[in-house]
Amino acid sequence: MGDSGILWLRVAAGLYSFGLLDAIITVLRRREAIFRVAIVAFALGAVFQLVSLVEMGLAQGRLPVNDIFETMAFLAWIVTVVFLAIHYRYKAASLSVFIFPLVFVMTLVGALRNPVSPWSNSVVRSTSLAVHVVASLMGYAALLFTAAASVVYLMQERQLKRKNIPAVFRVLPPLGVLDDLISKSLGLGFLFVTIGLVIGSIWAFVETGTRWIGNGSVAISFVTWAVYLALVFFRVSAGWRGRKTAILSIIALVCCLVTWIAHSQLQRRLLQ
Amino acid sequence: MKLFVAGLSHKTAPVHLREKFAIAEASLPKALQDLQKLGASEAMVLSTCNRVEMSLSVPDTAPAGEIFDEFLRSWQGSSSAFEGHLYRLESREAIHHLFRVAASLDSMVVGEPQILGQLKAAYAVAKSEGTVGGLLETVVTRAFNVAKRVRTETGIGQMAVSVSYAAVELARRIFGSLKGQTVLIIGSGKMGELAAKHLHRSGASKILVTNRTHERAVEMAALFSGRAVEYTTFTSMLHEVDIVIASSGAPHYILNRDNLQRAISARRNRPMFLIDIAVPRNIDPAVNDIEGVFLYDVDDLEGVVNANIQERSKQAQAAEGIVLRELDQTLTRLKLEEVTPTIVSLQGQLEEIRAAEVAKTLRRMHGLTAEQEHQIEALTKSIINKIAHGPISELRRNAGQPDGDQAVELIRKVFHLQA
Repeated sequence: MGDSGILWLRVAAGLYSFGLLDAIITVLRRREAIFRVAIVAFALGAVFQLVSLVEMGLAQGRLPVNDIFETMAFLAWIVTVVFLAIHYRYKAASLSVFIFPLVFVMTLVGALRNPVSPWSNSVVRSTSLAVHVVASLMGYAALLFTAAASVVYLMQERQLKRKNIPAVFRVLPPLGVLDDLISKSLGLGFLFVTIGLVIGSIWAFVETGTRWIGNGSVAISFVTWAVYLALVFFRVSAGWRGRKTAILSIIALVCCLVTWIAHSQLQRRLLQ
Repeated sequence: MKLFVAGLSHKTAPVHLREKFAIAEASLPKALQDLQKLGASEAMVLSTCNRVEMSLSVPDTAPAGEIFDEFLRSWQGSSSAFEGHLYRLESREAIHHLFRVAASLDSMVVGEPQILGQLKAAYAVAKSEGTVGGLLETVVTRAFNVAKRVRTETGIGQMAVSVSYAAVELARRIFGSLKGQTVLIIGSGKMGELAAKHLHRSGASKILVTNRTHERAVEMAALFSGRAVEYTTFTSMLHEVDIVIASSGAPHYILNRDNLQRAISARRNRPMFLIDIAVPRNIDPAVNDIEGVFLYDVDDLEGVVNANIQERSKQAQAAEGIVLRELDQTLTRLKLEEVTPTIVSLQGQLEEIRAAEVAKTLRRMHGLTAEQEHQIEALTKSIINKIAHGPISELRRNAGQPDGDQAVELIRKVFHLQA
């Protein structure tokens, strides 16, 4: 496989990261900030990825879909092209909150295929591991707030609908405040979980080469992240509130719990 | 010194008597001065639409009731019209009454916040006229603290007890702050206008008005510096509105499930609060089933008000308990203050005797060292302290007791203390 092929793929992943940034700003600020920049970067990324695919295909003499890394990168490219087409036709900018982060992470995974030389500096190694753990835990904590606020929102909404507001509910924050809290904690939480995921993936890649991707715990992390992503997407694009947000945030919270439990065993297994 | 409160309130007198007795703000200084001329040591006059009352402090032996009657005669010509409607309270009851008034437990709408402000204003006038500055001042400033404590510990004033305030309270429960919220008023009912006024005052800045008669809408919009909207097209802009107040005379529903479903989708599920105070109702009750839509009709709002009133009376009971505890504490403190002069003069008397005797003795004894003189001083001081200890603790113990005055009097006599 051509080395330059993987290089172009990494360039594409770098360009897709603008999309991720745009999605996070949209979630946090509730408005599209750098969408124009992100969509151009995204289109450029697709071009670089096509170059990478062609190079790898030529080098191997067949379609580069031999393992999970290659298939994931290929799938990411298809999603990118379809999204660009949809956006060109329907101007469906709100979908980008979902698509941008997804494509970025998939491409990143694809780009983490070729083993590189192991850590040259042990400080970098332990620092990035610490950042990964702290960012992930902060993301989980934020999700805890989201879930708690969602449940309170749900109860309060129900009381308001029933037109019977017990005195205890007067101490709870109003729906508007809870809604704001949910938005903010969700946005920040997603930011942290994404940072945790990206750094964790790179760390595992440097540490173990290609072995990491087959690990169950790693797969669970990706599922958790995807649930988080779905939560953010439905919230931002469809304005999900009340019951739906509450249920989905609790599912996400359970996923986080499973991920965390799985990870307490992970390091040992990875480094065996 | 004792406290005396007399007057009439919404509980004892009808409005035509209250307004007759009322003392205009401009006349307050003269009333206060007259009360002092008649023999009151301190005076404060509270005159509101629901109560007119005078608080006085008078020497223990002075006839407080007569001072009040004399005042009544000179200001109203005769006191006979008010007989049977007046209350006269002394000492403990008077303090209890002032605490309850300040805490809004004696108000027509229990827990309403205006009375505390009115009481503070009455106190400010008395203060600037120099007619408070002793017992009455101590009690009144204590009453302000009691009121504050009741308010923070029971939250008695927090719940709306009128339909239009209930609407504001619910809007706050839904949106948090009302700042920047858009209100649409449909129709020109008085209740609708009142609710809109409260919402506007609470921060809802954008007011839209629609009416079958467009001129009426323009008129009402001008009241809130809002905007009139065409009656035929207002449903198309429903999604821009956070709060709807419907009070039109239409005989049928003018907003249905379909209108709201569309509006809420366009708002991406941001909540809407609909207040339907029209009879017959203007909004289909089925819209309440839509997620994010909160519909309250007149009965619902009245239900909220009734629940609040019940909750207030529950909290009023807790408040009465707080007032009673504060009353006991205040009385104990006042009694202690009452015996303080006796304690001070007892200590002064004993010290005077000791100092004179020591000086006499030292003049006779020569050649004492400074150290020895110091020893004699210490010895005599210790003796008088031991002697004074018994009566002082007896004075403190008797302060505030039913027969305490006799014990205090006896101690004064035994030690030849001047009154």
